[in-house]
Amino acid sequence: MIRKILCGLSLLGLLPLQPMVAQELVDASGPSCDYYLYAAAESADEVYKIKFDGQRATVIGVVPVGYQATEIEGAHGLTVSLDGKHWFVTTAHGKPNGILYKHSTATDKVVGQTTLGLFPATMQISKATGLLYCVNFNLHGKMVASSVSIVDPAEMVEVARTQTGSMPHGSRLSADGLSHFSCSMMSGELFEIDAASFEVKRKLQLEDPTKIDRTPVRNKLPKQARHQAHESAGDHLDIKGMPKPTWVHPHPKGGIAYVCLNGIAQVAEVDLRKWRVMRRFPTAKGPYNVEVTPDGAKLLVSYKSSQSFGILDTKTGKELARIPSTRKITHGVVISPDGRYGFVTSEGIGSEQGAVDVVDMRTNKLVSAVKIGLQAGGIAFWKIVPRGR
Amino acid sequence: MRLLLPPFMMILSAGFLCAQEEQADKVQIRVTPASLDMKIGDQAQLTAQALDVGGRPTEASVFFFSRDRRSVSVDRSGKVKALKPGKFTIVARIARRSGPSAIVQVNVAFPTPASIEFRDTPSRVFAGTTARASAVILDKSGFHRKDLMATLTSSDNEVATVDTFGMVTGHRSGKCKITAAHSGLTTAFDLEVRDNPVSSIELTTGQIQARTGDVVHFRVHTKDSQGQPVAGVPVFLSLQVRPDDTLGNSATGQIKQDGRFVAEKPGVYTVIANCGQQVARCTLKVVARNVQKKAVFVGHGPIFDVHTSDLWVWEGADGRDYCVTGTWGGNGEAIFWDVTNPAKMERVATVKVDARTVNDVKVSENGRICVISREGASNRKNGMIVLDVTNPRSPKRLSTFTKNLTGGVHNVFIDKNYVYALSAGRRYDVIDIRDPEVPYRVGSYELTTARHSIHDVWVTDGIAYSSNWSNGIHLVDVGNGIKGGSPSKPVKIASYAYPSGWNHAAFPYRSKATGKFYVIAGDETFPFGLSTNNKPTYARGWFHFIDFTDLDNPQEIARYEVPEAGTHNLWVEGDVLYGAYYNAGVRVVDISGELMGDLYRQGREIAFYIPTHHKGRVPNAPMTWGPQPYKGHIFFTDWNSGLWAIKLEEGSGRRR
Repeated sequence: MIRKILCGLSLLGLLPLQPMVAQELVDASGPSCDYYLYAAAESADEVYKIKFDGQRATVIGVVPVGYQATEIEGAHGLTVSLDGKHWFVTTAHGKPNGILYKHSTATDKVVGQTTLGLFPATMQISKATGLLYCVNFNLHGKMVASSVSIVDPAEMVEVARTQTGSMPHGSRLSADGLSHFSCSMMSGELFEIDAASFEVKRKLQLEDPTKIDRTPVRNKLPKQARHQAHESAGDHLDIKGMPKPTWVHPHPKGGIAYVCLNGIAQVAEVDLRKWRVMRRFPTAKGPYNVEVTPDGAKLLVSYKSSQSFGILDTKTGKELARIPSTRKITHGVVISPDGRYGFVTSEGIGSEQGAVDVVDMRTNKLVSAVKIGLQAGGIAFWKIVPRGR
Repeated sequence: MRLLLPPFMMILSAGFLCAQEEQADKVQIRVTPASLDMKIGDQAQLTAQALDVGGRPTEASVFFFSRDRRSVSVDRSGKVKALKPGKFTIVARIARRSGPSAIVQVNVAFPTPASIEFRDTPSRVFAGTTARASAVILDKSGFHRKDLMATLTSSDNEVATVDTFGMVTGHRSGKCKITAAHSGLTTAFDLEVRDNPVSSIELTTGQIQARTGDVVHFRVHTKDSQGQPVAGVPVFLSLQVRPDDTLGNSATGQIKQDGRFVAEKPGVYTVIANCGQQVARCTLKVVARNVQKKAVFVGHGPIFDVHTSDLWVWEGADGRDYCVTGTWGGNGEAIFWDVTNPAKMERVATVKVDARTVNDVKVSENGRICVISREGASNRKNGMIVLDVTNPRSPKRLSTFTKNLTGGVHNVFIDKNYVYALSAGRRYDVIDIRDPEVPYRVGSYELTTARHSIHDVWVTDGIAYSSNWSNGIHLVDVGNGIKGGSPSKPVKIASYAYPSGWNHAAFPYRSKATGKFYVIAGDETFPFGLSTNNKPTYARGWFHFIDFTDLDNPQEIARYEVPEAGTHNLWVEGDVLYGAYYNAGVRVVDISGELMGDLYRQGREIAFYIPTHHKGRVPNAPMTWGPQPYKGHIFFTDWNSGLWAIKLEEGSGRRR
């Protein structure tokens, strides 16, 4: 009974559960809650509703998204409203801009939509402003500065668009909701936007001086690649050792943010007060998404190029575990609000179905996996429901 | 107990926090002014103050945003600018969890009408004839207030009258003023009504019988009382119809004011020419077009495990006939078939690439190079794959080209050693494949309009025909010479867009019989969604016939629209259109001669074939993707069931 009360309170946001306490309680007789989340299949234009009962994850619903179904529109970013009544998904391509859709969590029906920029991707809603912040990834366009779309999710209107860097990704807000962070993958920067004024407050270059090599790569390329490189002279792609930041997640207690440096296999720990990189944690190749546990003790990192994901200790920066994924390419990560489980999307290749892998954040072990659609990418946590409710 | 204590303490703590939140939630925002009435161009300043439960100001800062920033903008200081007329909302909110909001209604008045103008006014009309005068109301910025309509009057209704829609009819010779009025504003023009010099009309055509769908030209000759020709007096043409089928038919024919007539149904058609008191009639017998043939099944190459996309049929280097088909939402496969015997099509090879969809497949003119598109590649680099298909039973991968094509290549076309490849629905790149192992980009064509998007490109005779959704068809010189273009320097020739924004495909057609140059534009739209599993899909759309004979003045002159169905890809050979019509199967249409009106209703459809299979990816649901006439057969792919071959035989066949 007590477990159910605590579980319910934590869900309602009324009880900032101390993770250790919660874990001990759950340990006493095993998981007592059901966990619900959404995951997107980017090449199938579907969103999967998933339930994890503490032992087994299952698909409980599949929602097609988009409007021109003969083309891959690319269901990518996902988030859930603060009250849990709606979920949001972005599609990468429209004609040509991508679209943000708002669905009811009760019915999964579309209840609103608005067009954003090119390849709108990751997003989150600020608990301070109530607004949704979505990066326009512009993955396939020219490597020019893109933007963050700021949307009023109540009316589904874009209220501002703030220019940041090239290929922005990893849209996350500080715990107080007042600062928005995103990475610019191709310009190697971390951006901070004031969530209320919509203006860029700061940006930080994330290059590792020991890794960067500005010798043009194209000089070393074979014949075909030289042809192509000739066209792209000046591209950042032409530089070895670019950090290519792909994701940022602020520490729940503030003051720190963790950034995946996909190009140089690091997670950077950024001191938000000093606004500089304090430490660099080595990872497997291709760290892509990262999330911090609610107590700030661990990081869950997808290793996109290494068919695995890792759990890192934030105190030491050491990798506590590297867990093979059930598919070749890992992508999105999310941790349940009680800190107990991590969920990682795993893409697959070709017609191989994607998957959501579930890891026990206490034991650092894979505990379940469930197949979803093609190219599993975006993932968002919805709710925890005490068993029996 | 030791375990329970901390949670219990936390519950108390949580209760305390909740109380604080409740207190905080009672904070209100006072915005001054509470609402705004503005005119376009006005600026106003909002000030906001957060107040606690006692109504005392707090230090919580308030931010603003507009829910229609392109109509009313607001900056962080609360400065508001009115940009467009209407009713809008600005939100003032405290940046804090559950922070309260205040709504400011902003009414931006429509600009006051400043003037009225007549446009295209006739300075004179002849008695018994009608001309149109358009009155427009303008605001002070010169913008047309389309929401307002002027009241029109004539100063002398015995000379001329004018109706609500500006139709001015002359009654007898004389002069009068036609006045437009609104909100105290007026404008007028002088109208002269002259005696109508026409004392006789002759209406002729060179034939007394036509088929449905034939465009017949009627000619009007007006003469005065001396029997001399009269020019410049308008004659109005109308139609009286006695259709053979009198059982509730709708309109069965049409007459244009330039004398072009076309009938949809057999019957007796009388064209009536009217000018003042003079009337002439000319009657024509219309018979059924009778072009129908029987579409006969020849062969089926079933594909049930994955959706099938486009096809290309060609004669291989060994003299046999081959076909390559793409796959959609599957395993990134292109499937090669020996179709020398269309009744027994043999699957001879499968090329698998890292992709979910191989949407398009094309083969070079010499039959040795195949290019396939990629979407959904696991590394998101997509691009295209160049294959050596000299031996289609063993295709060899020559190169992968992804540079600037990472967003996905939806369609490709090969023309004279160049590949035209779509890039992320934004443009097409021209890629030199003279050395197919080392392709490289030489050119690109991209529209400059805001939010442009492209879907397809087809190249023939040095002209690239691209389909660009709401931007319509673009004709681009990529070597034709008409505009000095080349593959590395594409130059726009002409364009045409239609309102629906559904332009998905295009195919040129030069009518040898008439000298007309048409481009046929196909739609794609799924207003009721697309079902990839279990349920059939109900697409919509039609083929638009655009007359590009005058490149500077293209005219949409005809359509082919199957009710309750939707178009996809198309092909023209000779004077026959082969259309893939998704849920309505393959349609074969006679497009010979001059075209006007709805070709479907005119009985120009030669044949149709609806492919279904109970084992289909969606069972028993036709979803026809693309046709290609080849050596007397019609090959086509169906999204749900694979590759098909049919042929036409004389006879009425299956009919609607």
